[in-house]
Amino acid sequence: MEAIWLYQFRLIVIGDSTVGKSCLIRRFTEGRFPQVSDPTVGVDFFSRLVEIEPGKRIKLQIWDTAGQERFRSITRAYYRNSVGGLLLFDITNRRSFQNVHEWLEETKVHVQPYQIVFVLVGHKCDLDTQRQVTRHEAEKVAAGYGMKYIETSARDAINVEKAFTDLTREIYELVKRGEITIQEGWEGVKSGFVPNVVHSSEEVVKSDRRCLC
Amino acid sequence: MSPPMHGGGAGGEQRRDFRSRESNFLLEAEAPLDAELRGNRRLRGGGGQWRPARDGQHWHRTWPPLGRGIGQPEGCGETMASDGARRQFWKRSSHRLPGSIQHVYGAQHPPFDPLVHGTLIKTVPKTPTTPVKPKRVSTFQEFESNTSDAWDVGEDDDELLAMAAESLNTEVVMETANQVIQNHSRRCQEQPRLPEGHVCGDSEQAEHFCDLPLGTGSDGRLVKSVSESHTSHPADILSDAAPLQRSQSLPYASTAPLAYGSDEKNALGPPALTEREAYRLEKFRQLLAGPNTDLEELRKLSWSGIPKQVRPITWKLLSGYLPANVDRREGTLRRKQKEYFAFIEQYYDSRNDEAHQDTYRQIHIDIPRMSPETLILQPKVTEIFERILFIWAIRHPASGYVQGINDLVTPFFVVFICEHIEEEVENVDVSCVPEEVLRNIEADSYWCLSKLLDGIQDNYTFAQPGIQMKVRMLEELVGRIDEQVHRHLDQHEVKYLQFAFRWMNNLLMREMPLRCTVRLWDTYQELLIFLQNLPTAHWGNEEVSVLLAEAYRLKFAFADAPNHYKK
Repeated sequence: MEAIWLYQFRLIVIGDSTVGKSCLIRRFTEGRFPQVSDPTVGVDFFSRLVEIEPGKRIKLQIWDTAGQERFRSITRAYYRNSVGGLLLFDITNRRSFQNVHEWLEETKVHVQPYQIVFVLVGHKCDLDTQRQVTRHEAEKVAAGYGMKYIETSARDAINVEKAFTDLTREIYELVKRGEITIQEGWEGVKSGFVPNVVHSSEEVVKSDRRCLC
Repeated sequence: MSPPMHGGGAGGEQRRDFRSRESNFLLEAEAPLDAELRGNRRLRGGGGQWRPARDGQHWHRTWPPLGRGIGQPEGCGETMASDGARRQFWKRSSHRLPGSIQHVYGAQHPPFDPLVHGTLIKTVPKTPTTPVKPKRVSTFQEFESNTSDAWDVGEDDDELLAMAAESLNTEVVMETANQVIQNHSRRCQEQPRLPEGHVCGDSEQAEHFCDLPLGTGSDGRLVKSVSESHTSHPADILSDAAPLQRSQSLPYASTAPLAYGSDEKNALGPPALTEREAYRLEKFRQLLAGPNTDLEELRKLSWSGIPKQVRPITWKLLSGYLPANVDRREGTLRRKQKEYFAFIEQYYDSRNDEAHQDTYRQIHIDIPRMSPETLILQPKVTEIFERILFIWAIRHPASGYVQGINDLVTPFFVVFICEHIEEEVENVDVSCVPEEVLRNIEADSYWCLSKLLDGIQDNYTFAQPGIQMKVRMLEELVGRIDEQVHRHLDQHEVKYLQFAFRWMNNLLMREMPLRCTVRLWDTYQELLIFLQNLPTAHWGNEEVSVLLAEAYRLKFAFADAPNHYKK
């Protein structure tokens, strides 16, 4: 069956430089861990489908952002059109954890009038021996902001799927409950390509989508 | 959990489509790919990291070895083999992805030819599968050998045309050209039906003309794209040691001294090329000999590429680092090198100070991950890069260190070190280079980087206005020059800033293999002179004209574009 998606969610991945944003995304979208990863400049784009329930697919558009401060003026333009976000810190780098607050502030200012559903991600959990942030305190911070917390490792492929799909499910539930709605001029959530057909039959053949171009 | 969804076949590969990952979703949104389309995508496939940009492997596989006439049929073996070795240095990763190496056909990928009149470039397959009329081939080859450097423009044009006229009569040329075009269009239609694994058997050369006026380029040049594809033995595709001569897509001259190994090319190339190269080299040498080098003249000459032997000095001159007066050069070098090391003395210890530790930390982290190239990973080189970048950053607080600037050191360092080594640059053990020599290279790289960045500092200051402006210009230009591409991007809600930001931020360093960048920078040097004299007026147009070449490539990256063209 050719896949088609029920919804398209746009996600943004943010966090300090070198916490592992690009590697996490590439593990998720490409299924591998790049040995070398150029610093991201500006934004990069990835996409993948996830199946949250049998036959129910969500297409994720994932924007990878540069962590370095200088690119902030470019990257912040992407907050507004994102429905979900992964806020990463590196569990071996306390500073990146301390900056979580700043990142949230930064997004708050630029996302209005919309909202981003965030998940806090403690990355590089394979490096447990170098850990500078305990799971407990990270969970506390996350709870304080009403976020879920998850620890991941792109290198060892720990929780990478879970981080993305949990967030996707969370957003999906909000959409189902009508707490997030599709809006004109907002790219955060879009419905599938053939909205009338999607709910009755997901067996839409790919060629039907030719009209896009 | 459903696996990444890109249907069978080249799926995984598509997802990794180079930096403009936008194309992923375009693909998904697109009707089933036809064979040609996939063929085009595969052009970029094959290597581990899906970044054709600096992944020399792809480029080796998909484009003819640089610095070599596209159409040189025989005697390429040695060069290609050494290209194979050289690839080690350029490639970003040696990782292979299962299923990602595919036969490539339909690789019509127009390179840019700034000649107003089309130049026919013929690639003769190493193993022709279709007999071709010998007479035509030789005639055509002859023509090609005289004109394959047609990307070179400038004062040599007349001479070039004269050379061409000598050995050819126009009718033959035109007849051949027409034939080629016909064959090409015929094959274009056939290609989608070719079975997997079958490589285009047509040995005739495909020429695909597409004039892209360069707008307001100071010299009113036109960019002409000449695409070529050719027959390859499947073994070529499978064998790493035999990079495919495939298609050339970028605006480097087919004979310009791109590759570091232009010497060996001299030895192997047809006499006409050698002659021409020798002639060019001689011209450079005359200019450089002084007593006062005419920088204007040097700049013009450099537009079409600088011979390897004189590249270091030419870059130093054109960047404004070295004075035009021969007698003053040595003294200036000494003084500047001393000055740089005084900076180190004065500032480098401050890298661990509170005020600078973030800058240093970022540089320190970025260098090892900017590329797996063995050269840069050598501790000595890493240290050199760290020092250059740190000193530059703290001496330019308005921008400071911005990711991307790290990439800009590499071409200078590589070009300058090449002057002092005999082996290929990827094989060099830097610890064997005398300390003193290395120090001078470091200082020279610093100053040249500094000169380069002086002209584009607003790329890296707050909000990066320089980049924003250039991306807007690019958008405007593409809109004017190639409306189809423009509309296509627009329809798919692809913003120029999303893909072109890095082009500008890293001066295309990540979009092509280093040796191409080096060649490109031969031409950039001209821009620097403009900058020093006419700060803004010419810069954008010139740079954007280079970027347009990339834009054209992008169109193919958005693989459905060829179909749009046909419709």
